[in-house]
Order: sequence, then C-alpha cells, then structure tokens
Amino acid sequence: MLVLALAASGCLLPPDPATEAGQDVFNLYLLVLALAGIVFIGVEGFIIYAILRYRRQPGDDVLPEQLHGNNTVEIIWTAIPTVIVLILFTFSVITLGEVEARADEPGATIEVEGFQWQWIFRYEEGATVTGAIGDPPTLLVPVGEPVRLVLTSLDVNHAFYVPQFLIKRDLIPVGEHGVPNELEFTVTEEGTYSGQCAEFCGDSHADMTFIVEAMPRAAYDEAIAALAAGEEPPTGDGGECEVNVEIKAENLAFDIDSFEVPADTAFCIAFENLENVPHNVAIYSGGDALFTGDILDTAGSVVYEVPALPAGEYRFICDVHPQDMVGDVTATE
Amino acid sequence: MATTTLEPRAGTYRRSWVIEWLTTVDHKKIGILYIVNSFLFFFAAGILALVIRTELAVPGLQIVDQATYNQAFTMHGTIMLFLFIIPALSGFGNYIVPLMLGAPDMAFPRINALSFWLLPLGGLLIFSGYLFGGAAAEGWTGYAPLTGQEYGTTPGTDLWIIGLTLVGTASILGAVNFIATIFKMRAPGMTLFRMPIFVWTVLVTAVLILLATPVLAAGLIALFIDRNYGGSFFDPTVGGNPILWQHIFWFFGHPEVYIVILPAMGVVSEILPVFSRKPLFGYKAFVFATIAIGLLSFSVWAHHMFTTGEVFLPFFAFMTALIAVPTGVKMFNWLATLWRGKLMLATPMLFALGFVSMFLIGGLSGVMLSSPPIDFHVQDTYFVVAHLHYVFFGGSVFGVFAATYYWFPKMTGRKLNEPLGKVHFWIHFIGFNLAFFPMHQLGLDGMPRRISDYSPDAGWTLLNFVSTIGAFMVAVSIIPFLINVIATFINGEPAGDDPWEGNTLEWATTSPPPPYNFDRLPPIHSERPLFFLTHGHGHAAERPADLEETEEEDVEHRGGLV
Repeated sequence: MLVLALAASGCLLPPDPATEAGQDVFNLYLLVLALAGIVFIGVEGFIIYAILRYRRQPGDDVLPEQLHGNNTVEIIWTAIPTVIVLILFTFSVITLGEVEARADEPGATIEVEGFQWQWIFRYEEGATVTGAIGDPPTLLVPVGEPVRLVLTSLDVNHAFYVPQFLIKRDLIPVGEHGVPNELEFTVTEEGTYSGQCAEFCGDSHADMTFIVEAMPRAAYDEAIAALAAGEEPPTGDGGECEVNVEIKAENLAFDIDSFEVPADTAFCIAFENLENVPHNVAIYSGGDALFTGDILDTAGSVVYEVPALPAGEYRFICDVHPQDMVGDVTATE
Repeated sequence: MATTTLEPRAGTYRRSWVIEWLTTVDHKKIGILYIVNSFLFFFAAGILALVIRTELAVPGLQIVDQATYNQAFTMHGTIMLFLFIIPALSGFGNYIVPLMLGAPDMAFPRINALSFWLLPLGGLLIFSGYLFGGAAAEGWTGYAPLTGQEYGTTPGTDLWIIGLTLVGTASILGAVNFIATIFKMRAPGMTLFRMPIFVWTVLVTAVLILLATPVLAAGLIALFIDRNYGGSFFDPTVGGNPILWQHIFWFFGHPEVYIVILPAMGVVSEILPVFSRKPLFGYKAFVFATIAIGLLSFSVWAHHMFTTGEVFLPFFAFMTALIAVPTGVKMFNWLATLWRGKLMLATPMLFALGFVSMFLIGGLSGVMLSSPPIDFHVQDTYFVVAHLHYVFFGGSVFGVFAATYYWFPKMTGRKLNEPLGKVHFWIHFIGFNLAFFPMHQLGLDGMPRRISDYSPDAGWTLLNFVSTIGAFMVAVSIIPFLINVIATFINGEPAGDDPWEGNTLEWATTSPPPPYNFDRLPPIHSERPLFFLTHGHGHAAERPADLEETEEEDVEHRGGLV
C-alpha cells in the first residue's frame, strides 16, 4: 500500500520551471532530494533489515550482547549529518543569490496589490487590471526580460505564488512607512501560467486566483497600450437618465442598504468610491448578474447606465466584497 | 527529600467515585484524566479533519461553505496541538515520571490538579465559538491582521484567545511542576545520568515550555487588546506591525514543535530498548542531543517566515539545518539499539518503529524546507502540510499510541489485546501514509494549504481523493483501538507488575500502583534499575567513575522511602 501511495504520488518533482531562477531552484531541489533519498533508503532499509534479521524467536531467553554505546561511532554519525547539512547550506546560499538577484533596469515593473479576495495589477504605462471572484485577472509580462513586481496588500497578508515559477513572496500591509516586498523573475517560455494566493486571507482565499501570460516584447507593448487606452474611466453626468440613484462606498460598506426604481425604465447610478479600495456596483437577480459596473480601483466617481429592470426584487452588490457590501433593489410598476 | 509525608492510603476516607476523580491530587489519577481528556479532544478534532478531507476529496464545494471550512481547519489544528498532543504527552509524563524517579507524587500535587482542570475549561471555551456565530477561522497560527476586529467579527476569535491563554497557563504550571519534581523528588541513587530518557525529554520539554509559552501568552493578550480595547500592536493602519505577530507566534511556535516531539522521542527511547532486550545505544549522546535540540529550537523560529522578506535568511537557514545533526544522532542511536537485538514486535514496539520510520520522513522534508529557495516554492503549500503531519502525526501521535499500549497495563493492571492492537496499527499506518504522503506531491505541484476548493483543471483531484481515503482509514483504525480499550478495561488479561520485562522503576511496583507508589525501591545503580535487579551486575550499565563513590550511601538511604 505504501508503494501504491508512492506510485500515486508521482515522482516527487516540482513542475517544469518556467523562469531562469526557477531552473536554479529545480536543480537545487534535485540535489537535496537525492541526499534525502539516500538517507531515506539507508534508514528505512536498516529498519526493515533489523525487523527481519533480529526477530526474537519464541522461547529464546538468552540476552543479546548488552551494547551501551561507542564514542567513535557517535562522532562518526555526528559528522555525517553535519557534512550533509553543510553541503545543503552552501548550495542553498548560492541558489538564494541567484533567486534574489536584482536587475539594474528590469524590462517591466508592475505593482501588484492584493485585497480580499482578488488582485490589482498596475502597469507603468497607466493600465490597471482588477480581478473579481470568478473572473481572475491576467498579469501580462514580457518573456526573456527581468520582470519586477512590487507587492503590497490593501488589507491582510496575501502571497503571490506561481507554481511553475517555483517562487512565492508575501504581500504584507506595511502601513505608510513600510517598504513593500519585491519579487523579480525572468520568464523563459511563452505561455500562460496559473497562480493563486498562498497565504490564508479569509473566507474566499481559495478564489484568489490569477493568470500570468508571458509574451514577446512587441506583443506585450501592444497589449499594454490597448489596455491603457481601454482604461479611460467612463464619464457622464447622468443628465440623460430618468432616475438618478446615488451610492457611496466607504469603510467596506455602502452608505445605503436599499433603493427603489421604476420598473422597465433604464436608470443611472452615480457611484462614488471614497477610499482607495476597489469597489463597484452590480445588480443581481439570484445568482445572475443583470448589470455589472466597472470597478473603481481607487477613490473616484462614475455614473453607471443601468438597463431597464422588470418589476421585482433584486440585490445590489460590490463584486469585490460580495459578503459585506450588499443591499436591496426594488423595481416597482 | 519530600518522601516522609506520604498521602493517606486508599480507603482512609470514604468518597464517592465521582468526587474522588474530581478532587484528586494523585499524579496517577491526574495523568489518566489528562489522557482521557486528550483523547476526547482528539476524536473531536479528528471529526473536523474528516470534514476537511471530505470537502477536498473532489473539486467543488460539497458539504460546507468557505466560512465553515475555515473554522474547521482552524479548530482542527488548534485542538490537535494544544488539547490533544501536548496534554496527552503531559498526561503520560504526569503518570510515569514520578514512578520512574521513585517518587511518591509530583512536587506540587494541587498545582498539578489546577493545571489539568484548566485544560477542559480552555478547550471548551475555544470550541464554544461555534455557539456564538462561529469559531475562530484564521488558522491555528492566527496571523495578524486577519485576526483584527475589522476582518473577523465573531466572538469565536476572542474565545480562541482566552481559551489558548488558559491552556498556555496550564502548560506553564505543569512545566514548573515537572522541573521541581525532576530536580527535587528523585529517589536516592537516581542521579541525573541514571534518569530514564523519557524523564530527560520531559525535563527539556518543561524548560522549553517555561521559556516559550509566556511569549505566546503575551502575544495573545496583546491581540486581545488590539481586538477589544483599540490597541495597535499588530494593526498596520495605525502604526502597528503584523509581522510582529509572526515573530511572537513562531518564537513560541517552533520550540512548540519540540515540546510536542521530544516526549514522544522519550517514549520511543524507552520502548525500543525494552523490546530489543538491549540498553539504549549511546545514552549520554542521546541526553546531549536532546539538550542540543532544546537549545537550537530557540534560534530557528523565522524559518516559518522566509517568504515575508523580513528576516535574514542565511542565519535561520543554517540554524534550522543544524537541528538535523542532533536529530540524526538520535536516529542513529535508535537504529544501533535495534542492531543485534532480539526484537519482540508487540504493539508498543510496532508504534515505536512506526514513529522512527515516519518521523524520518518528516525530518527529511524539514531539512528540505530549511533551504530558503526550496521553501520559496513549497512554503504554505501541501508540502508543508505533509511535513508537519509526518512530524506531529507520524511522530508524536505514533508516540502517544506507543505510550498507550506500553503503559496501559501499568495504569489498569490489564494488557491490551495484541491481535486487535496489531489490526489498529496496520490500518493506522497504511491510512496515515495514504493520507499524507500524496500531499508532498500536491504541494510540489503548487496546491496551497487552507483552500476550501480547487479547480478540476489543476490536476490535484486524484491525489486529494487518495488522501481522503487514507484519512478515513485512520478514522476506521480508531474503532479496534476503542473496542480494545473498553473490552480490556472490562475483562482484559491481567498484566502483572512487569509484563514487558521493563527496565525502569514504574515496573517495580504493582499494576496499578498504590496511591503512594512504592512499598520498597530496588537499588538504583544505572539507568536500568529493573534490568539490574533481574539480570545482576554482569549486564549492568558501565558506571562513570564519579558516580561510584556515592553508591554505598545511596543504597543505605533507600530504606527511608518505605
């Protein structure tokens, strides 16, 4: 059964590394696994040998030789693990230097913000991507160039983790004067890689997933430019709307818990985000989103144009904080 | 010596059975209370483990929602560590240490009772969160700022803090009691270097508790102030530092790992020699290795924080890897104890060998984790979950079961049924490996710990399913154990005073021992006084020259104990 468990477990290897430093970690891991494997086979082998070889036979009352110890062998088997540990430590420090190496001028510097329970990626070019639960954001990176991530948290601890990069780093709320963590890597293979938060951060921790898409420099520049162009915040004064609902968001809460609109009439919501935490307003009927407003990543205001609703009861929710920020909508004839 | 004031003999007062157990200050009864209480919490936390494993068996949320899941793993970890493993080993310490030392009781019997009764109180407080809108759900490590009032609004977290503070207080009181007992209550002739290894491990554990647990208590109180009285120890928005909590928690938390594992190592170091019919190989090396592990355990806490970017990695990596040296010495000494022995594979020995072989895996994965670059990949993944379960479950819990089978005859006068014990061991051993070995691969594949769900596309489904089957096998293995304990208690085979041909003094008295423990003590010339008694001088331990001269005197003094 143990063999079955071993077989079922695969070969105890991490995924194929997709970054330069990841390859170094992978090589170090192979060395350590080999050392551990030798010790494992030696010790478990001896235990099995001893069980088979030294079983007491029924009726055997003769005492075995009473060995109390031997200083020479104690010294030898203090030295063996010491040597193994020194080898491991030396190679670990060498690899650590490679993993922690910082480029003078990274190909891209991207701010990564974690919040309960999603991610915001801010590019130098002005583009910003905010994820929502069930709609994970994509982090675009150029392939073959060092990419630097500046990691901050808007609330609790999170951790940025991409298994195929063989690395993770915590996002810690450091307050005004703290220094955010940085993580640098050079992706070697074009492709998409899945990642997710690795530091437990509350209810929807498991939903805090994201995707990394590595592409050649030209494609990257184009994609970021398109993102930045599409990011113009929607404007409007709501003058064309018949009903104007005002909602403000502050301290992870809406200022109202219900509002009423006439049925079968398009209307507008003037939404104001009073804090630097991403919020939006979306309207749901049961589990179906009838309207999803753009997320405001930071303090600011927007006017949402909402299509007509049939008469009935609905809910309005902030998609970023669906558990805390929720209220009722009534559409009346 | 405090040997002149023996407790009144049994039967002096007429007391009801219930009052007797509720008010007892006898270390043996308190020890049994500890053990029974620990197993009750073990079953509760085990059910939570099954909830976790059932939820993770296949992708999708099936039986609980996210909030309930988070409460389940938080309570599972907290209860298993603080209310099962530590108290269970303390319970065996309570019962066995005074007997091993030839003492009539612990040094402070009433404090002993107090430190036990704080445990069920603290444990029930921790669990009572379920009655007040949900138990604590921040993980057993309770990382700030997630524990802040603005993120966790149930009173469950406050109850968790209060309960843990009480349990910690119980631990500290118990540690003081053990240290006083071991230094002041030894029988004549029982020098420090003749103490059984189990006593040595309990002594080092007690010192670790005394130094580490107050730090946790201070952190818990600071957290309570943050949550309830507007404090700002850990809240970054008002100038606090959430990393401070991690330092405080792990400054306690890593010695805690050794608090949990050292007494289990002690149990195994008693059982292997008895069932190999040889002395423990390298007694002194083993003592020094235990002390070295205790000392080093205070310099490694930040290896839990490699990915925070806030600690000096090479120092903590080196100190952590260095612990492998004394641990390796212990491992080699255990193997040398088996070498050319005459092994009797009774159930206690099976669990002890299970400990050695499983703890090895936990130790090896621990050395792997000590390397910061590898840790960057597997930190907070199922690799760590696998590692800690091979240490705590494959190590400590196997030790607890080994101790249970080994000392049950002493405690009850009846020997647990061997075939049932073997059935228990094998289902337990196979189930344990099925449950936890695949987690190594899941972690290497990148499955984070503490997630309630995973994508069907992640490729983690098969191994999770295997792991769940293993968890249920472990649960099933408890059935023959319970049947065994109950049936033996009612109508078991009488054990006699010394069913295993033991080495140490607890086997020199009746089973169960009288309230005052010993009518008379055999002379103590080595760490195996009972072996000495049966087999004579020819096989006794070689005595260091400096101990020889006190020996005559010791023998004369032993009369004073009766």
